[in-house]
Amino acid sequence: MSSKRLSILPPVSSSGPKPPVHFSSSITIADSALLTGTHQVTVLSESVIHPRARLDSSAGRLNLGRRCIVHERAHLGLVPTNGRFTEAAVTLGDYVAVEVGAVVEAGNTVVGEGSTVGVGARVGAGAVVGKHCTLTPHTEIAAGAVVPDFTIVFSNGMRRTDRRGVAVELKNKAVARQIDVLRRMIPSNPAKFV
Amino acid sequence: MAALTPYTYIQCPCADPSTLGHPSGPNAPTDTDADEDDRTFDPRAPRSNYSLYPLEYLLYCEDCHQIRCPRCIAEEIVTYYCPNCLFEVPSSNLRSEGNRCTRNCFQCPICIGPLAITSLETKPNPGLLAASDNTAAPHHGPYALTCSYCHWSSTEVGIKLDKPNNVHAQLARLQNGGATRLTGKERKERRADPSKAQDADGRRRGASRDGQDLDLETQFTNLKTFYQSQLADPESSDSGLAPLGDLGYSSPTSLSRIMHLYTGGGRQDKKAKSRVGAMREALGSGEGLQLAHLDESAAIAALQAAGHDGTASTTQLLEQPPHLGAAHPHGSARLAASLRPIPYLLRTKRSKRCPLCRHIISKPEAKIQTTRFRIRLVAGTYIPSLAIRALSLSSGNPPGPAAAAAAGGLLDPLKPAHFLLTFKNPLFDPIKVTLGAPAATPGRFASRVTVLCPAFEVDANTDVWDEALKDGGGGERDKERGGRERRRRKGEDGGGSGGGGGGGGGQNQLEVGKIWERGRNWVSIVVEVVPASLQAPVGGGQPGLLQEDEDVLEIPMFVRVEWEAEAGGDEVGAVVSRDREAKEKRELAYWCVLGLGRIRQS
Ligand SMILES: [Zn+2]
Ligand SMILES: [Zn+2]
Ligand SMILES: [Zn+2]
Ligand SMILES: [Zn+2]
Repeated sequence: MSSKRLSILPPVSSSGPKPPVHFSSSITIADSALLTGTHQVTVLSESVIHPRARLDSSAGRLNLGRRCIVHERAHLGLVPTNGRFTEAAVTLGDYVAVEVGAVVEAGNTVVGEGSTVGVGARVGAGAVVGKHCTLTPHTEIAAGAVVPDFTIVFSNGMRRTDRRGVAVELKNKAVARQIDVLRRMIPSNPAKFV
Repeated sequence: MAALTPYTYIQCPCADPSTLGHPSGPNAPTDTDADEDDRTFDPRAPRSNYSLYPLEYLLYCEDCHQIRCPRCIAEEIVTYYCPNCLFEVPSSNLRSEGNRCTRNCFQCPICIGPLAITSLETKPNPGLLAASDNTAAPHHGPYALTCSYCHWSSTEVGIKLDKPNNVHAQLARLQNGGATRLTGKERKERRADPSKAQDADGRRRGASRDGQDLDLETQFTNLKTFYQSQLADPESSDSGLAPLGDLGYSSPTSLSRIMHLYTGGGRQDKKAKSRVGAMREALGSGEGLQLAHLDESAAIAALQAAGHDGTASTTQLLEQPPHLGAAHPHGSARLAASLRPIPYLLRTKRSKRCPLCRHIISKPEAKIQTTRFRIRLVAGTYIPSLAIRALSLSSGNPPGPAAAAAAGGLLDPLKPAHFLLTFKNPLFDPIKVTLGAPAATPGRFASRVTVLCPAFEVDANTDVWDEALKDGGGGERDKERGGRERRRRKGEDGGGSGGGGGGGGGQNQLEVGKIWERGRNWVSIVVEVVPASLQAPVGGGQPGLLQEDEDVLEIPMFVRVEWEAEAGGDEVGAVVSRDREAKEKRELAYWCVLGLGRIRQS
């Protein structure tokens, strides 16, 4: 009888075939990130994929823009129960942050430039989230819903428009600085996924 | 339907008006025994909702020897404090400044999250050099209040602050949109200083002539000054009324009435009457007249443009603090975009007293940062706690309904189920417990209840270490061994008597009048219930639709606890024997409700 405690986590990156990837040379992807599926995964320059983030391209392509940050245990391209193949399962614009444990379902789902998908939030299949939106933690966006630009979704689906007049350039600079720090902290191993 | 975990609620004796607060001495309740016996407490009665509490909610008065619930306790406020900055607010400030924090603590008007004060200054070149910039010049005005959750900013209502401190005073002076206004205090100061008053009056007149833009505070002050000036006239002219004026008869109508009584319609009366008649109402907004905006098309258009999301909800409006600088509410659109930051409401720390003997039962530490209590007499240290566990007689028996109940399932109707009640004694004296439960539960569906052992003793809550440390003494060890033996013997007895109860072959046996298990300061007994069928109401007929929670099996149980305590000598109703050293008998009796589970609906 073995006394070794077995991990309850699925063995990393041993399930299914490797999806074809198209990585920019400047991205940071952790060794323990989990890429599954059969369709192409594209990640553009300077994006960061945290350890144990899950990218599933089994229902279509995944497109990640520039300087996106996909946090731990975030799940892009989760196939919903009645999911079907779409050309682009999930598309993230530039400067999109998908925070810890958030889920973006597959099915032509789009998260626009500069938007943040909060901790534990869920974006339903086919939803279109506009630019510079903030989905606060544990927000759920229904499948097929459209969230206009500069919308903040908070406290169980209430919506309001961001009128702070955010300087987009300033925000992007902050993201760039954050990525700079993350790069030093997350050992990158893109070769593993190619 | 989800099964429920068994629970115990205790009825505070204050629910019964006849026993309200009276110390339950051993001789006192004998006359009430009779009616307590024939009056079974019904836990489903609508009134019961207000008197049933879990043990943790109850306090205990040591002088009255009585349970005290949140309903029968007198509260006193110890301190007022702000929940955000944890500063104490003296009660004198409370009278003048109101019950909100007057420092820099604000809540978001949209989502009630805390607001942070942030600089609106954008740095000229916030590149990678920003780190060094931060250290050089950290903050510049103007400032805004921002919510980090819903990203609301006070700039949305046009409020920008000059300084990052004293925000409350700054906000009082700012209208939505950023226009400044005079606060009441400043207005008073200006009036006292005539040179400034001239200036301010001129400005106010100018504003009043063209605009309806009197804010609430200005309108009230204008009206007040106007009516005071109206009142001042008759008083000053008539010297004879001066002493009356001192007595507080400042209203012209009451004055004229009194004058009429004394003079019988003389010359003065006529004069007064004519003056009263001459009193007029405010004519301009300088005198406090505010015309209503009857044209609401602008408000309607704004509401249509903003839609549902842009309209302030009732909760948001209720959270709004009274803003004296607000325009007259008539005809204004209630948009989310016009909501102002909410200063934090102050909280209190309260001490609790027994309403009868005025002794303090609970008193928190006055210091705000600590959550400790100086005095806290919780009922759990005075009355036995009661734990309920479903009992499965699995040994030898095939898994029956009781086993199903133990697994968290539903109770099967008409099949006996057993529950283990464990009484734990918190006192340092042994207690004698007597239980009383009706044979059938009250309500439409009568389940049958049998308490197998309604009277027993629970040993004292001696220190766990006492026994261990005294282990060297042979007497203690003997006693301990005796206890162990007693327990074992009980098991043997059960085995020997054979089919006494429902179970078979186990070490413990269901037997009427026998304790199930006994420990240092606890005793377990068994209650047998036969849940009623939800198809057959007591009166016969159709069961119809079940009311809410009517399928929950609740047993009312009367608990009487007796013990002998050290005689304090200061009790009112206690029997104090001649010997001061003698122990005195105490008694506590109360109803409680045992919620056992839901009955299966077939
Ligand atoms: Zn008392
Ligand atoms: Zn009470
Ligand atoms: Zn405060
Ligand atoms: Zn907010």
